[in-house]
Amino acid sequence: MTSSETIDLVEDRALDPVGLGSGLTARQVSAWFGEHKVLDRVTLAMPPNQVTALIGPSGCGKSTFLRILNRMHELVPGATLSGTVAINDIDIYRSGLLVTDVRRRIGMVFQKPNPFPAMSVAENVLSGLKLSRHRSRRHDPADLVERCLRRAGLWNEVKQRLGTPGGALSGGQQQRLCIARALAVQPEILLMDEPCSALDPTSTRRIEETIAELREQVTIVIVTHNMQQAQRVSQYCAFFLAEENAPGRIVEQGPTDKIFSAPDDPRTFDYVSGQFG
Amino acid sequence: MYRSVARGGGALTLGLMGLIGLFLTVRSWKALHAAGLGFFTRSAWQPSFGQFGVWSALLGTVIIAVIALVIAVPVAICTALFVTEYAPPRLRRPLTSFVDVLAAVPSLIYGLWGRFFLQPRAIYLSRFLGTHFGFIPFFHTKEAGSVASYPASTFIAGIVVALMIVPICTAVMREVFSQAPPGEKEGALALGGTKLGVIRSVVLPFGKGGIIGGSMLGLGRALGETIAVTLIISPVFDPHSLTHVLQTGGNSIASLIALRFSESNEFGISALMAAGLTLFVLTLIVNAIASAVVARSRSGAATEI
Repeated sequence: MTSSETIDLVEDRALDPVGLGSGLTARQVSAWFGEHKVLDRVTLAMPPNQVTALIGPSGCGKSTFLRILNRMHELVPGATLSGTVAINDIDIYRSGLLVTDVRRRIGMVFQKPNPFPAMSVAENVLSGLKLSRHRSRRHDPADLVERCLRRAGLWNEVKQRLGTPGGALSGGQQQRLCIARALAVQPEILLMDEPCSALDPTSTRRIEETIAELREQVTIVIVTHNMQQAQRVSQYCAFFLAEENAPGRIVEQGPTDKIFSAPDDPRTFDYVSGQFG
Repeated sequence: MYRSVARGGGALTLGLMGLIGLFLTVRSWKALHAAGLGFFTRSAWQPSFGQFGVWSALLGTVIIAVIALVIAVPVAICTALFVTEYAPPRLRRPLTSFVDVLAAVPSLIYGLWGRFFLQPRAIYLSRFLGTHFGFIPFFHTKEAGSVASYPASTFIAGIVVALMIVPICTAVMREVFSQAPPGEKEGALALGGTKLGVIRSVVLPFGKGGIIGGSMLGLGRALGETIAVTLIISPVFDPHSLTHVLQTGGNSIASLIALRFSESNEFGISALMAAGLTLFVLTLIVNAIASAVVARSRSGAATEI
């Protein structure tokens, strides 16, 4: 990424009332599917321009928590929650706030790459603008496509074939296309739900590099099962655990270095050192 | 064992279709031989005088089917989208079975209802279109101001046929729409997409094959529809007045056969067989095109479900 592009993006942000570096704060979040409680009073601050990793064994509620952060949780029939989630002190569940606006400001990348298969690569990148009816007046679309694809680390591989369908790319490329697509609507926060679990090591490394570069502009929250990945990409880390017949909760949170080198809780130590899970 | 049964069934179906075609060709041979190629261009139907052709009936059939599709396809798409995307989950099942029940109502019932309930009301719509949009060639009507110019028209037959095919079109489309990949729908929602945005970017592109398939299935039914059309139209054989769809008078191959069958002599029957053969070939062509289009659009083929 060149420096001129970075300046360009900062200018874009200046138009946004929220400005640079939005943080996300969850307080006392509990969640249910029907009668079944899956999360118990989770409190977590996700600081601006940092990568926060959510780690823990399967079924501990990490993904549910992530989906609560951009109001995707409520799409599941019977799903309910309590507590608050705030982006820069604005409660995203406040009435009067459009759910589509919340999701535009808090983007998401899923475990399984889900580009729109029939749309071309370029159309995929621009799809968010069409969907959210926030048509960009200032930008030339071709320019926006290039910048987003560059930021997602995909430009060099697809610049010759922007017209090919998104479904024709490889898995790793599709996932980076999804990242580019999410970036095109200029989210302040990007949630990633195990973005590399379906990918090969090379693609994984590319995406990890992308995450490190993106941190300059967006706050990132990533769910991962890969301890090395959490160590490599994150600055802050939260360990989720659901003990038998109990809903998931955060056992320990703190700077990633500390969680992996000197955790306070023995259960955290067992998990990060590979003793269980 | 299973394979031979399946193979036998397939062969039987194909054989049956071939036999029907052969039967129609043999029985219509006398009339076709007498009329020559003029059979397809002449409009009058008077076999006893040697003056007969399928043109006006064929034209009427196609016009009725087109009107029916123009009305039915948008209605069916909206209904299918409502059932799959908008209706509350507990209403989905009852709505689905309700649509399926509608598909099973005999066409005679639609015909009776269209004749005695719909027509007296629809002629006012016809008059509105005829007086305000009469400048469009299709809608041109003689004596456009009078309600008496409008009953028993191609347009009203088209409406009734549309109502008949909406359920079958809806059933096919709903089935396809409900299989739209949830991952892509979530992706669209996570980008800040509205429900309409999700439908436009995921559900409709995925369901394109279903929309085409459902429409073609409806078209097949519309082309062959007999009794509902027979009950409504009063036959005319003038192709020029047939294209003025709002005014009294229409025609279709199936209703022609139904109306004339009992009053025809041997040669007349042969002529009707020729008309039947024309309809048979027409529906075969429509279905062949439909399956080609559906196969090429490969709905959602690029997506793993």
